[in-house]
Amino acid sequence: MAALDPELDVAAHALLAEHARFVVVGGFSVIANRFVRATEDIDFLVPDDDEDNDRRVLAALRKLDGVRLRDDAPLDDEHLIGKTHLRARTEAGIIDIMRGGLPPLDYETVEQRAMPAEYDGSEFLVAGLTSIVGFKRLAGRPRDRNDLIGLEGVHGELPIEPIPGLDIDT
Amino acid sequence: MSTTPRKTLLEPGHEAEWAELNEEKRRALTPPPDTPVGELLRRGQHLSAQAAGLLRAVERANGRARS
Repeated sequence: MAALDPELDVAAHALLAEHARFVVVGGFSVIANRFVRATEDIDFLVPDDDEDNDRRVLAALRKLDGVRLRDDAPLDDEHLIGKTHLRARTEAGIIDIMRGGLPPLDYETVEQRAMPAEYDGSEFLVAGLTSIVGFKRLAGRPRDRNDLIGLEGVHGELPIEPIPGLDIDT
Repeated sequence: MSTTPRKTLLEPGHEAEWAELNEEKRRALTPPPDTPVGELLRRGQHLSAQAAGLLRAVERANGRARS
């Protein structure tokens, strides 16, 4: 089990070392926005259609001894380039790599609204509250609804934007 | 509704894929029933330490969402 313990700082530093663009989303971004709960995996949002960045992300995951979780296959370019999602088992835990959605949940907007976190002098970006609320409303699982309740308890009325496919037609 | 294929799961219409991914993650992360309590405590403490470390990291960076 120890190999599945999430190590956010280790994972983020690996991506920073490869100069990859990414934003932390998912449970860790909820924690960063002050609703503290346990999370067992790491979610990174990465740009669409940027093969060079995808290769940098893959290089970082390989340096973390990453394999594709589904089948323990050694990571290959085709596991991420042109794909919507990659889930890897690494020495920094399970890492999900995801693409952004339609605006305002696209990568560029989420990155623009993100906030910095600093570990050992290095900074990386974590999704801001408005983006998290959008992701959570879209996902709509019990855990997501609980996160929204928790975030509302911390921040008061949450910033809610129209989400394509959820609040407005696409 | 757009018919253009997109490279994202972060939009409606991917419920089946998400269900599969969520189940895969559940299988990978759920400890076996016979996991010793000591191991569960160690893991819980690790997750708490990760959360605390991130909060400190955001504080160090004077974390404020840019919008």
